[in-house]
Amino acid sequence: MTTRRAVRLTMGNAFREAAANRAGFWTQVVTMIVNNAVWVLFWGLFFHRVGRLRGWDAHSVYLLLAALCTSAGIVLGFLANSRAIGRMVADGELDAALALPTRPLVYLLVRRVNPINMGDILFGVVLFFVAGDPTPTRTLTFVIVIVVAAVVLAGFLVAAGSLAFFAGRDDAGELGFHTMLLFGAYPVDIFGSSARLVLHTIVPAAFVAAVPARLVQHFDFGVAAGFVTAAVVFGTLAIVLFEAGLRRYTSGAVWTRA
Amino acid sequence: MTFRALRVAALTAAQRVVFAPSAFIVSMGIYGGVVAILGSLWRTAASANHGFVAGYTGAALTWYIAASEAATIPLNTRLIEMLGDDIASGAVAAEMLRPASVVAVRIASEIGRTLPHLALCLVAGTGLCWWTVGAPPNLASAALVPLSVALAITCNVVAQHAFAAVSFWIRDARSTWFIYQKFVFVIGGMLLPLEVLPHAMTTVAKLLPFMAMAYAPARLASGHFEPWLLLVQVGWITALACVAAVVFRSGERRLQVVGG
Repeated sequence: MTTRRAVRLTMGNAFREAAANRAGFWTQVVTMIVNNAVWVLFWGLFFHRVGRLRGWDAHSVYLLLAALCTSAGIVLGFLANSRAIGRMVADGELDAALALPTRPLVYLLVRRVNPINMGDILFGVVLFFVAGDPTPTRTLTFVIVIVVAAVVLAGFLVAAGSLAFFAGRDDAGELGFHTMLLFGAYPVDIFGSSARLVLHTIVPAAFVAAVPARLVQHFDFGVAAGFVTAAVVFGTLAIVLFEAGLRRYTSGAVWTRA
Repeated sequence: MTFRALRVAALTAAQRVVFAPSAFIVSMGIYGGVVAILGSLWRTAASANHGFVAGYTGAALTWYIAASEAATIPLNTRLIEMLGDDIASGAVAAEMLRPASVVAVRIASEIGRTLPHLALCLVAGTGLCWWTVGAPPNLASAALVPLSVALAITCNVVAQHAFAAVSFWIRDARSTWFIYQKFVFVIGGMLLPLEVLPHAMTTVAKLLPFMAMAYAPARLASGHFEPWLLLVQVGWITALACVAAVVFRSGERRLQVVGG
């Protein structure tokens, strides 16, 4: 079986599994949309009170939110296990994936779909069309930067989760996940220069929301090149760390939840 | 007997947390990150607005955020979901065999689990704020903050139990925790002082129980000496505890468990 076919079939099964409880699926989607709408409300109230802040206003932050929701929704929704790699490693739950005729990381990433994050994707796309001033060029840019941002996020989550192979615990993965989404949800320019450096390197939260939003507003080839480089670096890092860690993997033969 | 049972439940839960350091690391990381981000955001906003936002200085807002986050981050965010699962699956039936109230033991356990996290958040938050913006704006009101944060957490845990008890009737209430949490975020004053909201919204928010879960301790931490806020918190805890007790008792009577 080719890898592409295996991915397609596994993903299809994951979708059917997620959609099996139709009422539950839509409840979760709607819940996430309401959840995200609260952030729109927060930023609306914030900028209504304080006005423009270091080049950011309500309009540009809505674009940031649209980028964050869509890219994070793709990663946490379609590649739901990207967040769980560390826990699965620490709990010894990779066994079922190791026996399959496909690469374990690819299988694990597409194995599970999380319905609640479908709400993120829907919300992000709608927010872009409502508040992102969508011309054909901006829409195309939005699609491209979202894909690149998703690669950065997935790469970082897998890399951070893979540290569990070496540490035996999932603290780094869990902390990395929260840090990325936490810092990604705010305009990067409110932070000091050292924090901004961290957010563009070690914890690349800026590349998941702020940089994509800026590129949609004012496309810049230099920034775009740096953005793509970050995606290549974190994508490669994820594969290298996972493959290296897999050689050290041990478990108590848990054949369940992969 | 009941008080002793509750004390033991709380202590056991607290001990479990103390001996699981990884939960501390994640919780502290999130707390430090949130206080740093929101503190920075509000200080930037204040400095861009002649030093004040809705009557708060940048330093006061930093202390505000440290207290409001200390009152919410130590909590189990998915408590409503977990409670709903236990009710829907019938797992709660085993707890009904104990000679103590199900809801009271659960509330005591959850508060016990939260207290070690809260203690660390208060220490870390005080250190972080002192380092970034200096001493609290008003030492007298700051002295009331630990008590107010503890009351805020109690109020939140009790309210979540009252809220989750809806699972006795609708079975799948798992996603509702998201909605509840967002009420605390905005009209509870966790992300922003209630005075930042439009006037009518501020008035309504101050009449709701969510203000006792974040705004009350944060308002004290930001230098406003308003001890009556503690009485408001106690009032809401009493009211919500009555609601939780009544709803659980009613739900327990109609609980049906298949198999076992």
